[in-house]
Amino acid sequence: MDAAVSEKIKKLLRRELRYTSTNLAFNMMISKMQKKLDADPAAMDDCMKEMEMFLGKYPIVAKVDLANIAAL
Amino acid sequence: MLKTLEETISLIEEGRILHIAADESLLEKLPKGKWIGGTTPYFMSEDGGIFTKEKLFVNEIDMAEEIRTAVYGKYNVFQIVEECYDNGLTMMIMPYGSEVAVKYAKEAPDVEELLMHPVAGWISGFDLDTESVAKAYDGLTGQSYTDKAVVMYIRLPEGKSAMVNMINIFTDDKTDPVIRFLDNDLSVTKCTVNGQEVNFAEYIKKKNIDTRMPLVADHNGSYINTSIKEVLEEKVDFYAPVFKNIDYRFAVNVKDYAEEFGRRIGEAGAKNPVVSCNCILNYQFGDLNGKKIPPYVGPVTFGEVAYQLLNQTLVYFEILG
Repeated sequence: MDAAVSEKIKKLLRRELRYTSTNLAFNMMISKMQKKLDADPAAMDDCMKEMEMFLGKYPIVAKVDLANIAAL
Repeated sequence: MLKTLEETISLIEEGRILHIAADESLLEKLPKGKWIGGTTPYFMSEDGGIFTKEKLFVNEIDMAEEIRTAVYGKYNVFQIVEECYDNGLTMMIMPYGSEVAVKYAKEAPDVEELLMHPVAGWISGFDLDTESVAKAYDGLTGQSYTDKAVVMYIRLPEGKSAMVNMINIFTDDKTDPVIRFLDNDLSVTKCTVNGQEVNFAEYIKKKNIDTRMPLVADHNGSYINTSIKEVLEEKVDFYAPVFKNIDYRFAVNVKDYAEEFGRRIGEAGAKNPVVSCNCILNYQFGDLNGKKIPPYVGPVTFGEVAYQLLNQTLVYFEILG
């Protein structure tokens, strides 16, 4: 994943940016990772690994989401 | 679309891969074949919402490269995460009130990797004017179950992928009080409202809340509903569990369900939903009998599954790529 996009996803997970996908699973995933970070702010690396794995499972939709996130 | 018994039997005998919803009296007459099914006599058809025990709602899963079916109970239902195809879709049907449905409802949001694989499905039901029982059917074996989840694993061709989505006509008003619950449960006594502990049943009565409106939780812009089953003297029962550490609000009142669905469907932009299901509570409270919400036709269900159990929602999947 592109470093700039990766940084923006971290901001999404820290609730410093807001992005809603058309993919329900992606929104659920973001919400789940946000709660994980609320409970343990040091879990960012784990959250990002999980997020990369998730995006790899939905390549067609992820392409659109990642382009939208890059443009935030 | 709605088919006669004879038409459905022909499709099964031709070896088609099918998802079938119908009254028990019809499902019991189907031969073995590549299908899974569940009971309900309520449907959203091309001609509008309809109650019928004369026809079956049949979807052909013609994009499948391969399928397998499986049956799970409450102790092993989350094996779906390991047993699904890597590039595929998992379709599941669970009977209303079954232990497996309760287990799934309570625990799915916390299951590792559940979101990594598309899962869509529904809770089977029955004619509300009778004492019938909800069932799920595994067409490959010809067995029906009142206490098991029946799953069809669908392998998709390379370059194709399934997207499971929902259309929810409910949203919240961010100025309304935030309700939080102390545990993951289908029945609660206490909750906090803006941080203050109260008896939830008393709160609903005192505020004269219309409990046909679900509780909604904002999951990064996707609203997940929890519908209220009954407000008793001291406690409140739900159709799906509430979860601790989640902010809930009561949904803003929806006056015309069909009109609101029309608006949301326009926003969703799905063109070719392969299978969709809509909640019996929308059908009842929104008086959808005779009303159309194209292109979303399918069974009217007693709960919907889009990864986790949902309420008062329309769930569908489409194939992309």
